[in-house]
Amino acid sequence: MSVPILKQGDVLIASIQSALTDRDLLQLKDELAEKVGRLRSRGVVIDVTALDVMDSFATRTIRSIAAATRLRGAETVVVGIQPEVAIALVELGLTLDGIATALDLEEGLDVLVEVMEARRRDR
Amino acid sequence: MCWSRSWRRAAVIDERRVPIDRDVDIVTARQLGRELAAEAGFTGSDLTLIATAISEVARNIVVYAERGEIRLGRTDRNGREGIEVVAADEGPGIPDIQQAMQDGFSTGRSLGLGLPGARRLMDEFEIVSEVGKGTVVTMRKWRP
Amino acid sequence: MADQATDAEAPFGPAGLFGPADLERRLRSGGVGPEDRAGIGEIKDEVLKHLDEHVAAFFEHLASFPEAQALLRRPDLMEEARRLERDHLVAMASGTYDRDYVEQRFRLGRLYNRAQLDVALFMGAFHAQMSSIGRRIMQRYAKDAVGGFARFSAFKKIAFVDLGIVVDAMMTEREGTIRRQQQAILELSTPALQVRERLLILPIIGLLDTFRAKQLTDGLLKAIRAHRAKVVVMDLTGVSTVDSKVANHLIQTVAAARLMGATVIVTGLSSDVAQSLVTLGVDLSRLNTIGDLQGGIEEAERILGPASPRIERRPAVG
Repeated sequence: MSVPILKQGDVLIASIQSALTDRDLLQLKDELAEKVGRLRSRGVVIDVTALDVMDSFATRTIRSIAAATRLRGAETVVVGIQPEVAIALVELGLTLDGIATALDLEEGLDVLVEVMEARRRDR
Repeated sequence: MCWSRSWRRAAVIDERRVPIDRDVDIVTARQLGRELAAEAGFTGSDLTLIATAISEVARNIVVYAERGEIRLGRTDRNGREGIEVVAADEGPGIPDIQQAMQDGFSTGRSLGLGLPGARRLMDEFEIVSEVGKGTVVTMRKWRP
Repeated sequence: MADQATDAEAPFGPAGLFGPADLERRLRSGGVGPEDRAGIGEIKDEVLKHLDEHVAAFFEHLASFPEAQALLRRPDLMEEARRLERDHLVAMASGTYDRDYVEQRFRLGRLYNRAQLDVALFMGAFHAQMSSIGRRIMQRYAKDAVGGFARFSAFKKIAFVDLGIVVDAMMTEREGTIRRQQQAILELSTPALQVRERLLILPIIGLLDTFRAKQLTDGLLKAIRAHRAKVVVMDLTGVSTVDSKVANHLIQTVAAARLMGATVIVTGLSSDVAQSLVTLGVDLSRLNTIGDLQGGIEEAERILGPASPRIERRPAVG
């Protein structure tokens, strides 16, 4: 099951619809890296609302998506982490340090604007 | 008195087996585990913790042993209900379990968080491994 | 090379009350020796011969007490209780006292708890049952009263060990019930208050133990989702002590809230509590702490910005 990636202005929105296999996750990572480069996107929102499990592999892949897109000049925000999933992640010691998070897509886009502005100021 | 044997082998009912040899089987195993845990009376974040632990041990099979199986079942001890997850493979085995159980250790492509992570998510965790023969991980979680 | 780590020595039973060594200890404390086991072996058939009579003695004793009616009037519970009592006498007379034996006693303890049978009444019925057994044994050993008494004493030693297990199981069960009731009360007593859009205040009052801290996490994360909260002010002014375990739990809660996209501000942590936590090695820098509730709300307002309609923030669809 591949993840649809929508382009909205200079932001890419990856909206995960159902449980993903490891291969799906890796494919998402490649596609996002490619699209960010080709479309010169400034931000990426990954919507994980539909994920009922985020294990160490999924979390590691999301971290590497954030790292890869940052290298190409885009910021990543993860939105929609469910309360139960958040508890499991913390128990696992996986706290996504350094990656912005938000409650939902709308909030994520707000956060992205803030993060992109902060980055611009830092430069 | 045959204590240790009766202790280690809690009666498991409703056992379901999921063969594991590709990444999609990891998803199947954890979804089935979540269903079974719900049937056993688990609720809320416990369901997610159980499903996540299954995901970790199932991936361990795919990454290190290529194939194996996950056995899921409801169990009962002293009238307390729980779920038992067994991840068995005939892969290369783990030479140093102590080391593998430390956070951050890795011999493959994983973060190495699989086993210690799964242990933190469950109530009981048991691992038996023999180099060249395989690994069996048994985990249990009891209903609060 | 085989390497293994097992939990074979782990405790079992309600709340991990019993361990393998514990049953041995209980048998030793009860003074059960090899000669007792031999003595029980000799009266086994005698006990089994009048099994129904002994089981009946237990329930006959209960019959005269109104508080036992909750059990006696439930055919399903009674059927199970009769069966368990029967199985139990068989196991007692058979002389194998292992894990299965203990587990059987747990089931009985749980059942009686469910039927709200109190411990004193249970002990009375148990005594009536022992008397019934004692009478039969003394009849059988009418010509050897000393021998009969010795054998019955052996049986009674097991009975007392047994009584200890059932009573402990009943008490532990009851504590579990109380804990569940406390949980319900606590859930009601820690409300998340919405002050303005996207801002929640969580005043915590009273004793904060590990159990309640877990409740708090679940409740807070759900409230964040339900209210679409962006900032939560967790006020600990009403909490007098926080141990390192609870403090670490709070740190985890804050981390989980962040994963959901919310910022948690902790207020009202007294300097005494803060000092003792630092001494215990808790890393308070991982908590966003602000002196008092007022300061916390101000900080939250600053994060949230003006409550007026927000500026156009969405990039144009391209």
